[in-house]
Amino acid sequence: MNWFGFILAQCLNALSQASILFFIACGLTLIFGIMRIVNFAHGVIFMLGAYVGYTANVVTGSFLVSLVVAPVVVGLVGMAFERTLLRHLYGRRDGGAYLLLTFGLAVVLSEVIRLIWGVQPLGTGIPDFLRGVVIILDQPFPLYRLFLIGLGVAAAIAIWQFLERARPGLLIRAVSQNSEMVHALGTDVDMVRTAVFGFGCALAAVGGVLAAPLVTAFLGMGTSVVIDAFVIVIIGGMGSFLGSIIGSVLVAFVQVMGAYYFQDLALALMYLLMLLVLIIRPGGLLGKED
Amino acid sequence: MTSKEKYRVKAVTRRQVLEATVAGTALVAAPAFLRHALAADPIKIGIPTVITGGYAILGSQVQRTCRLVKKMTDAKGGVIGRPIEFLFQDTQGDPAMCVRKSQELVERDNCRILTGVIVSSEASAMLPKLEEWNAVFLSHGNGDGRLTAELFVPRFFRANTSAPMGARALALYLKDAPEKKFIAIASDAAWGRSSNAAFEEQIKAVGKDLVDKIYAPVANKDYSTYITKILQSGAQGCYVALQGDEARAFYSQAAQYGLAQRVQFFTEIVAQADIKVLGKDSLGLVGSSRYPVTYDIPENRAFLAAFQAEYKNEIPDWTDGEMYQALMILFAAIEKAGSAEPTKIIPAMEGLDVTSVKGPVLMRKCDHQGENQGFVVKVVKNDKFAEPVGEIIKTYPREMTTPDCRSASFRAR
Repeated sequence: MNWFGFILAQCLNALSQASILFFIACGLTLIFGIMRIVNFAHGVIFMLGAYVGYTANVVTGSFLVSLVVAPVVVGLVGMAFERTLLRHLYGRRDGGAYLLLTFGLAVVLSEVIRLIWGVQPLGTGIPDFLRGVVIILDQPFPLYRLFLIGLGVAAAIAIWQFLERARPGLLIRAVSQNSEMVHALGTDVDMVRTAVFGFGCALAAVGGVLAAPLVTAFLGMGTSVVIDAFVIVIIGGMGSFLGSIIGSVLVAFVQVMGAYYFQDLALALMYLLMLLVLIIRPGGLLGKED
Repeated sequence: MTSKEKYRVKAVTRRQVLEATVAGTALVAAPAFLRHALAADPIKIGIPTVITGGYAILGSQVQRTCRLVKKMTDAKGGVIGRPIEFLFQDTQGDPAMCVRKSQELVERDNCRILTGVIVSSEASAMLPKLEEWNAVFLSHGNGDGRLTAELFVPRFFRANTSAPMGARALALYLKDAPEKKFIAIASDAAWGRSSNAAFEEQIKAVGKDLVDKIYAPVANKDYSTYITKILQSGAQGCYVALQGDEARAFYSQAAQYGLAQRVQFFTEIVAQADIKVLGKDSLGLVGSSRYPVTYDIPENRAFLAAFQAEYKNEIPDWTDGEMYQALMILFAAIEKAGSAEPTKIIPAMEGLDVTSVKGPVLMRKCDHQGENQGFVVKVVKNDKFAEPVGEIIKTYPREMTTPDCRSASFRAR
């Protein structure tokens, strides 16, 4: 294999990984940006997406249908949680209450998943049209990973355009900057918060459905992913959508290249990158330093 | 009919009286015997295992086999006339938590027999405490070779095939295999490193070349980098010492890259849970098996039948087979000692030779390692089972696959 082909393969590996990381980190950062809540349950919500996607896939026989059903179901679960429990804490100044509540949600959801689907891991196949490899400079590369890259890029552009150009996107950005003013202008801020929380959960669920064919759906699958997502959000800047894209790509490249060239330091490299960014820009690459 | 003839017909003969007496005694005495067994103090066995967390599936297999064994053993009147009681604690796969939960089992529940520990690092964390606890610890599945070598303590026994033993069986098989160049990928944990080190030593000893070795971080999810590295290495065979979530992620992603068409996989542990999830992607996988479900001997046939009757045709995994074997060895030692006291079980278990579901096993005295036969299997479809299973392609005698005493090496073999 030539050197260029190898580097290209590694770049594609990193981009496919960045795509899944983007879906979970983007949801996390949107929720933080609007609500100033660090959602500790995000990893379990990602896992719930994988399990709901598995069931939808089994019932309908379509992976693509599961990609729609899982985010809708999980988004509704997220919205129900926000409306029934999270909302009562908005008046409190301490962030600890949010941490405890979302941590509690993570524990409860994990047990619910265990009771419904059991401890046995569940294998999710990929559709036939995404099976197989394409040969890129003598290097086989899975079609499914190309699909991940394409979907990630498409989703990033769509969400960016939505936030920048659509009226609901404008409202979301306005609420993140000054919710009291938006409320005074007659917008139902509570509704915006509910919708954003549900949307963030739905994005994590998409990540779960996409990750299941790579790692299978199993209890605990969200644990390490959510740590990666937190690192991404810190690197990109808490609440910054563009930051979550840049963070996802950076973390994925560091993981892939680190695993190849610095095997013994593979885990530490991601945290070293985070430390480096925090030293240079304490608020993250595109975040505010407040 | 005369009155004399009538009398003869209605008369109860001496034989009938004797038969009725024997039957009546048996009828009354049998439940009394069972009542006695079940009323006696139970033999408590502590199971500090993984109930939640990444290795929960292995813990669930330990629990289901324990429940089955309890049912089977109590139905036979228990062990030394006493019923069995299993007490489960969740260690979450964390060594510190495992020590804490084991201490609870010992001090609060008075369990002096411990088994069912999942992770090797948990097992090694427990070893220094066994003397203080006055407990005996029997491994059913801990693979780290050091546990019966440099970490040896007199109160620890290993009934199962260790990582070096699994690697040894595979290396013996690969001696005659067409593949010349190998690459190894292992979990960066005590078991994975132990397995890889043993494979490296063994494969070089049979004259083959190990071109590279990869240690993937524990709980790693993306193997694309490593798969690219394997493709680049030019190796014809890949030794895989990954299990659980890691193994499934690796094989799923390797299948997507079409890696199996370029490189033959050889694994230290063939796990049914992985086969179940991977489905047809698992076909053709060759590996060492700690418990080959297809092993056709009466002991295994009986276990398989009981297991499938209890769990609706579920196929027992290697953890089930190894857990069952460990408990059979433990019960044989208790019967031999006539006591469930650790200080009496230890000498009884040393040198104990038992025929289990995996054939003859000798609990050797010098390092408390169970001498197990080595099995190499290939994953194929089998009409008797709903899923593909490991079919035995080679069996090695226990003397060939067990390392030197208090060592993970095979220099004297």
